[in-house]
Amino acid sequence: MQSSPEPLTILIAEDSAADRLLLSTIVRRQGHQVLTAANGAEAVEVYSQQRPHLVLMDAMMPVMDGFEAAQKIKQLAGDQLVPIIFLTSLTESEGLARCLEAGGDDFLAKPYNQVILAAKIKAMDRLRRLQATVVEQRDQIARHHDYLLNEQRVAKAVFDKIAHSGCLSAPNIRYLQSPYALFNGDLLLAAFNPAGDMHILLGDFTGHGLPAAVGAMPLAEVFYGMTAKGYGLAQILREMNAKLKRILPVDMFCCATLLSMSFQRCTVEVWNGGMPDGYLHDSLSGVRTPLPARHLPLGVLTPQLFDDRTEVHPLSVGDRVFLLSDGVIETSDRDDQPFGVERLQQVFSANREPDRLFEDIQQALRDFRGEARDDFSMVEVRLVAPTQLNPPPPVYSDSGQSSPLDWSVSFEFRAQTLKRFNPMPYLLQLLLEVHGLRAQSGALYNVLSELYSNALEHGVLGLDSSLKRDATGFARYYQERNARLDELGDGHVRVHLHVTPQGDGGRLVIEVEDSGKGFDVAKVLARPLDRDRLSGRGVSLVRQLCHQASWSDDGRNARVEFFWEALS
Amino acid sequence: MSVVTEVSPDGQKLTISIKGRFDFGRHQEFRESYEKLNMKPESIVVDLKEATYLDSSALGMLLLLRDHAGGDESDIRVVNSSSDVKKILAISNFDKLFDIS
Amino acid sequence: MSEIHLDLDVLSTLKEVMEDGYPELLDTFLKDSEARLRVLHEERDAEMLSATAHSFKGSSSNMGAIRLAELCGELEQRAKQPSLRDIESLVNEIDSEFAHVRSLCREEREGFHC
Repeated sequence: MQSSPEPLTILIAEDSAADRLLLSTIVRRQGHQVLTAANGAEAVEVYSQQRPHLVLMDAMMPVMDGFEAAQKIKQLAGDQLVPIIFLTSLTESEGLARCLEAGGDDFLAKPYNQVILAAKIKAMDRLRRLQATVVEQRDQIARHHDYLLNEQRVAKAVFDKIAHSGCLSAPNIRYLQSPYALFNGDLLLAAFNPAGDMHILLGDFTGHGLPAAVGAMPLAEVFYGMTAKGYGLAQILREMNAKLKRILPVDMFCCATLLSMSFQRCTVEVWNGGMPDGYLHDSLSGVRTPLPARHLPLGVLTPQLFDDRTEVHPLSVGDRVFLLSDGVIETSDRDDQPFGVERLQQVFSANREPDRLFEDIQQALRDFRGEARDDFSMVEVRLVAPTQLNPPPPVYSDSGQSSPLDWSVSFEFRAQTLKRFNPMPYLLQLLLEVHGLRAQSGALYNVLSELYSNALEHGVLGLDSSLKRDATGFARYYQERNARLDELGDGHVRVHLHVTPQGDGGRLVIEVEDSGKGFDVAKVLARPLDRDRLSGRGVSLVRQLCHQASWSDDGRNARVEFFWEALS
Repeated sequence: MSVVTEVSPDGQKLTISIKGRFDFGRHQEFRESYEKLNMKPESIVVDLKEATYLDSSALGMLLLLRDHAGGDESDIRVVNSSSDVKKILAISNFDKLFDIS
Repeated sequence: MSEIHLDLDVLSTLKEVMEDGYPELLDTFLKDSEARLRVLHEERDAEMLSATAHSFKGSSSNMGAIRLAELCGELEQRAKQPSLRDIESLVNEIDSEFAHVRSLCREEREGFHC
């Protein structure tokens, strides 16, 4: 007779002494250790103390019968499987049914057949071991799940530190995001640049969990770092794309919509790579203009092929830009039908109070799906008067001791450079080395940018700003700008900076020259300062923001001055 | 098998057909369909006639295929896309990388 | 109804399994059975009768006392009927069958060598 591969401890509960003796001997001969009990209560007691692997249980016993004992033992075993084989001469099906109901796993008829008994023990033991494996694996999975959750907590804490410099709490921004959006791959960033413009990024990384979150951190660093330095959207986009292309695997990328909203110029610059349509809401007419994706997502194209062209739209105070992630569109109902863009459009049409747009959308989603969901992101940015915003002053990392106070520098940017390079951040960084100028960094940046873009666009490229009289004209203007820039063969913009001490403070003179045809200075200066006109804003702006703005050389040379007092 | 491959008799064209949902579950099969060929085909066709759904993992898989087939030098056509699938490909601007019909 | 008082094949298997414990098994069976028989004679409660007969049936079958087991089986069923008629004659029959089995067991015991 073969004994089982592994010796088990087997409990034999049988009230008939002779049967008990016989069975014990048979089982011992099969290589197992035997425990005995003469009634149900004893069986439960022995089980709870010794925890045998398997139980052979007589059905009819005094004190407590086999069925009740079996139920109690199964309870004590909990998760683990303790196979119970009933010993019975019950041949009626009623008796057998009772065995199963009581939690028995098999039965052995009297007279005992050793071969059958051995086979049943072996089969039951295999099941027992299988159950034990399943329970252990389940516990392992639960432990790993806890580790993963903890790792995500840590990742989120690190990420929140990177994201702290954002301005999502500004009064003109409204947003909705799940607390674990990061791990759905959703990213929402917002920051002021030195001019007081607001940069916003709504992104959606492929994948879920840590792989999606891991790409978000370098992206956020680039976004915040470059925005703070005054880089434009095009440069920031190029840098973000290059970074993601370099560090992410081929099949990972980040869909994103980037906005730059200028409260001084009343414009919004937009770049959408792979995200659902954003919407530009005209507060007067109520019309919502879609802002569709015209670009591939970030991280797909090499730097050489990346397209950083943005669209610029004019805005009035009160106008809003609304962005959403595809979690909204893809919300599905019980039949797996998606919510879709058409239903979203219906919500737009039905919306009476713009301030309640988020609530209307959420309600529509709830009605559609039947339950609330939070794995989508939405953000709405309103154009407000610059005075309503309080961008935090920039933080400087130097000690403030050494400040260059008496110097001049000249730059000449020629055609090839003008095409792809925006010198603003560099010039600004240079000027901010002068501590006295730091308090005016916003005005400085705005004026410099304005003078430079006038010199480039109206001067070198010869664009007519009167094109920008309405929204269509705006679009044509920027298309023309890009086209002429692509074709530019010669031309230049020169920037001269002079810093000199004056009394206890100092003076900065900025001169910007261009190689263009010039303009009728007297005529433009004669126009009243008018903030509501779309065109010709540049000159008004410059005149508002600094001292002594003057034009010479038929408008080809612009000169402005900034002053500062002694620092306390 | 929800990913079916077919190589033209001259070995120059590989056709990969996707049936059902083109999502993360198809990742392994899809990769194997072109990786285990012992020669590089001149052109590749991805047939989505029976594909019911496409998500961002599928877009990622197409990028992997493109990278394997030579990146900017590759010749990949995505054909028989349903209108839903076409919409998804349009939003992600993948028609700038693939010939889509 | 079987005519087998003690199945020799079963006995030889028991001998092989129990080895030196064979006499002890026989003794235990006889002692248990005598106790059960007393209960069968004295007990009036139908459920007790049935349970005891059931138990006796089990151990008899294990020992190869086929006829004895069958008689006990019959008693087990009869005791479940509403009227306890003819129980006494059946119990007596079991009694005499057991007496036969007992003497065969004693013979077995004597004939057993280590």
